[in-house]
Amino acid sequence: MPISRKKLYFILIIACLAGYVWLYFNLTENLTGNTNEIGVCLIKHVTNIPCPSCGSTRSVLSLFHGNFKQAIYWNPLGILLVLIMIIVPIWIIYDYFANKETLLKAYLKTETILKNKKIALPLIMMMMINWIWNIIKGL
Amino acid sequence: MDAQKVDMFIMTNGKFFESHQVAQIRDRLIALDDSKWGIIQTLQFKDPTTSLIISLLGGSLGIDRFMIGDTGLGVGKLLTCGGLGIWAIIDWFMIMDATREKNMIKLQQVLY
Repeated sequence: MPISRKKLYFILIIACLAGYVWLYFNLTENLTGNTNEIGVCLIKHVTNIPCPSCGSTRSVLSLFHGNFKQAIYWNPLGILLVLIMIIVPIWIIYDYFANKETLLKAYLKTETILKNKKIALPLIMMMMINWIWNIIKGL
Repeated sequence: MDAQKVDMFIMTNGKFFESHQVAQIRDRLIALDDSKWGIIQTLQFKDPTTSLIISLLGGSLGIDRFMIGDTGLGVGKLLTCGGLGIWAIIDWFMIMDATREKNMIKLQQVLY
C-alpha cells in the first residue's frame, strides 16, 4: 500500500503554499531594500557549510526578475523548483475537477524510476557536484 | 501457526511495529498457515531508532525518507533544504512512526 492520494496532495499543497509564502516574504524584503537575510537551512546554521539546495531562493528570485544566468549561478535547482511550483498546483486542480489521480500515478511512476540504480547514481553525482560548487561559491 | 513460534516472533520483532498493531499481528499470525513461517522469519525490518538517528543527522537532505523507501518525499526534502528546515524538524518526531508503518506494510504483503 503506497502513499494515499489525499495524503500526497495535502503534502504537496502545503509545500507549495509554504513556498509561495516564503517567496512573497523574500520579495517584499528585497523591495524594501532590507538585505538582512533570514536563513532557514539547518545545515548552514549548524556547520556553516551550505547544503546542496542552498541558494535556491535567490535563484528563484533572480528568475522572477528575468535574470536567467544569475539564477543558474545561484543554484540550478531553483529552475526545477519553479517548474514544480507552477505545474503541481495546476495539476492538483485538474485532478480535483476531473476526479482523477493522474498526479498520484505520475508520482509513483517517478518514484520507481528514481529507485533504479542506473538513474539514481548519476543524479546523486550531479547533486554532489552541485554541493561542491555551492561550497566553492560560498553561498 | 504455533502460539510459541508467534510469541517468539513478537518478542524479537515487536519493536518494529506500532503497539496497537501488535495484538492484531499476533492474531493474524496464529491463524496463518505454517508454510509461510519461513518467509516471515526471513523478513528484514527497518529499525525505527536507526531512522531517528539518520533523521537527526541527515534529515535536511531527506536521507531518512530515502532510507525508509519514500523516495518522492526524500527528493522533496532534498530540494527544499528539508522543507525550509521545518519539515526536517517535524520529521524528527514523525520518522519513527513512518518507519513502523513501512514495516507493517512489508509484513502485510506476506500476511494477506
